[in-house]
Amino acid sequence: MKTAVIRTSLSLGNVNLVLGLLLAVFIMVVTLIGGALVPHDPFLVDMGNRLQDSSATHWLGTDQLGRDILARIVYGAKLTIGLGTFAIVVAILIGVPVGLISGYIGGKVDAILMRIVDGILSFPDFILAIAIAGILGPNLTNLLIAIVLVRWIVYARVVRGLVLTEKQKEYVLVSQTANSSSLKTIRMHILPQVIPDIIVMAAIDVGKVILLVSSFSYIGLGAQPPIPEWGAMLNDGRSYFQVKPLLMVYPGIAIMLTVLCFNLLGDGLKSQFDIRRGRGRI
Amino acid sequence: MKQFLLIIGSRMLQLVIMVLVLSLITFLLMKITPGDPIRTMLKVDDMAATKADEEQLMQEYKFDRPILEQYGEWVIGVLQLDLGESLISKRPVLDLILEKLPATLSLSIGGLVVLFIIAVPMGMLGAIYEGRWPDYLSRWTALTGASIPSFWLGLMLIYVFSLQLNLLPVMGKATLAHFILPSVTLGVAMAPLYIRLLRERLIATLQSSYIEAAKARGLRKNRIIFSHALRGSLIPLVTMFGLSIGSLLGGVTVIEILFSWPGMGELIVNAVMERDYPVIQGYILIIGFLVVLSNLVVDFMYIIINPQLNNGKESM
Amino acid sequence: MSNSLLTVNNLTIESRSGELLLKGIDMEIEKGEMAALIGESGSGKSLTARAILGILPEEMTVEGQILYKGQDLVKLSRNEHYQLLGKEIGIIFQDYRGSFTPYIKIGKQLIETIRTHQSISKKAAKEAALLALAETGLDPKRVYHSYPFQLSGGQVQRAAISMTLALKPNILICDEVTTALDLMNGEKVLKYIDKARKETDCAVLMITHDLAQAYKWSDRIHVMYEGVIVEDGPTEQIRFHHQHPYTKKLCSSLLSLPEERQASTTEGVYSL
Repeated sequence: MKTAVIRTSLSLGNVNLVLGLLLAVFIMVVTLIGGALVPHDPFLVDMGNRLQDSSATHWLGTDQLGRDILARIVYGAKLTIGLGTFAIVVAILIGVPVGLISGYIGGKVDAILMRIVDGILSFPDFILAIAIAGILGPNLTNLLIAIVLVRWIVYARVVRGLVLTEKQKEYVLVSQTANSSSLKTIRMHILPQVIPDIIVMAAIDVGKVILLVSSFSYIGLGAQPPIPEWGAMLNDGRSYFQVKPLLMVYPGIAIMLTVLCFNLLGDGLKSQFDIRRGRGRI
Repeated sequence: MKQFLLIIGSRMLQLVIMVLVLSLITFLLMKITPGDPIRTMLKVDDMAATKADEEQLMQEYKFDRPILEQYGEWVIGVLQLDLGESLISKRPVLDLILEKLPATLSLSIGGLVVLFIIAVPMGMLGAIYEGRWPDYLSRWTALTGASIPSFWLGLMLIYVFSLQLNLLPVMGKATLAHFILPSVTLGVAMAPLYIRLLRERLIATLQSSYIEAAKARGLRKNRIIFSHALRGSLIPLVTMFGLSIGSLLGGVTVIEILFSWPGMGELIVNAVMERDYPVIQGYILIIGFLVVLSNLVVDFMYIIINPQLNNGKESM
Repeated sequence: MSNSLLTVNNLTIESRSGELLLKGIDMEIEKGEMAALIGESGSGKSLTARAILGILPEEMTVEGQILYKGQDLVKLSRNEHYQLLGKEIGIIFQDYRGSFTPYIKIGKQLIETIRTHQSISKKAAKEAALLALAETGLDPKRVYHSYPFQLSGGQVQRAAISMTLALKPNILICDEVTTALDLMNGEKVLKYIDKARKETDCAVLMITHDLAQAYKWSDRIHVMYEGVIVEDGPTEQIRFHHQHPYTKKLCSSLLSLPEERQASTTEGVYSL
């Protein structure tokens, strides 16, 4: 029974990974090469060319202000993916060390810290982001600050949990008794065990951040016009929904494919790591 | 009984910690932000703002006092169920929120119904036909569903069902028909997590020895799945659900804006736009309270579903 | 031959990776007989039981014949095979905690099981359930209204036996039923099984790694080693005139051969 189960999840995991990579290549080709092939300025207003259909010059047509949709989507891709990755990287850079140290040292400080962290974590991150972004003022930078403020805690929590488990294991105990320095033990033994989980989490989180940013921009609390962020584009185009529905379709599909790409990568990597570690299926 | 009190106690502690930490953070953030609420108010009131006006308002709202003093006052107010009043509409914050709460809760319940209708069959399909095409269908639905932005899904639903087919209304909450599109959007947006969770739990349960024993007794397949396996798999689902009431309340915000649903989401987004700090503070407090309350309900339901815990015995 | 209830002919089980798990075993169980299938863990005992019940994992391929009342179980569809479970062939598992669904009261599970196989009223089923519980020396009312975790291991195992026997199967497979129990409870459980066998004339296939237990209770012993039945015969013959080197090794690992298993020596000596 067990063997069959592992095999099916392995093949599906690999399918996910392969699809995710293909999608990633596709997105990269569109953003890098597509952007170069159709050299329109995503900000250039051309009222004479409003709401055009697809054509040789404007592959995906133009929006309500005559701006090239493809150029805006491509710009949005660079912006969104860049910002999402940036936010998560910063969150990791703060959260992982804190988690490592808190878990490694342990004791009362750790316990109290985690109690507070749990209190914050049980609060919905979306609303926390609304509150923080709201207080700081609704724009993209503040939204990113809000995301980092919330997300680093998650990484700290997870890493701490992993450290506590790893700490119990024999090789760490041996390394500790062998008088290695704490820092060395963390770097040599604990960190390598924690990294795969962090990568998987990060991949899925970037997708989440992209969704969050687009949602916020859609309700007017994120990117502000004329920035071609996908959610903001959807908000912009709302009034022209009936006239030109495709205006609303393209940014949505862009979000979906991008997030799907990150989800597939996260899923595929997870199965891959699990198999390598002999954990089988989760 | 002692157990119940213990749970209530620890949840109350959670509430206090959460609210104190969050409100302190928001309080501090407010003070360091460049956007001065008094200026916003003056602008909103459309007056020729003079220095004197500004100072008068500063005193009226006690913004000239030290942060901790203001914070302490706010906390004391909260203990007396006074959340202050809105800077914009001058109405008590608690009233504003309680006015909008029913609309948000009713939409959430609608979303839950849809969530249940989607997630339970999909999760079961995936588990029962593990490794075969219904399983792939279930997994791909979950994966794709998790990648679609909810507001965009809502937009597409509006386009198809309201604009093209003219079947369902879009804005407001006048009739039952108004519930359909927002509820579906919300339910679909939440479903992926539960599809996956139920599938995984059910697969694990179906391999457990008591299911093998039930088979060996010759019980009918449907009976085994519905009355033996499903129940065991629902326990983590209920837990997960209780823990994600918060994200439900967050997710509902976007959908309320999309469908012009007059709920708390609309309130908070407007408050953020207008920098109406007391409303933001009060909103965070109420959400925190709702989150802890739902966690408490889950704790109790968990005990009811799983009689084992009831007895304080932790074998198995 | 005419008395044979279950005949296994050249039963072979292969895993998906091509490994032979059972290598052509033959076995015959007569009506009312207590047969022991003995061998170390991993020798294929439980696999044999699962093949008879038809609850093997799907990726395993089964060849050979399992004749039950003249019907070849191997050739049955999963559903047809499933029809026989409980009513014709019963099983009691080693893991007594897993015999009942943990969050449903034992009484309810008994009624459910009885009513699956007999179309009787709920009330009649309840009476039958209480009677069955009393048969194994349990306090029927208390057990009936209990969740499995509220009972001791021995009680749960006896309740599981009650449930299995309430259906009056023709063959009862006991898969290491005493392993998870202490000595006293184990003996009690075997006593009830033996009693039921005598009363209903059902055959019992006792799977165990405990040679002393097999000596004490069985009429016939089949010795299994690495997927093959290396030797079989009446218990006395296996005990005193075994032929195969593995059986020899097995028997010599029992240092003494006490008539009474409750003797003061520790369990570890008997177990392999």
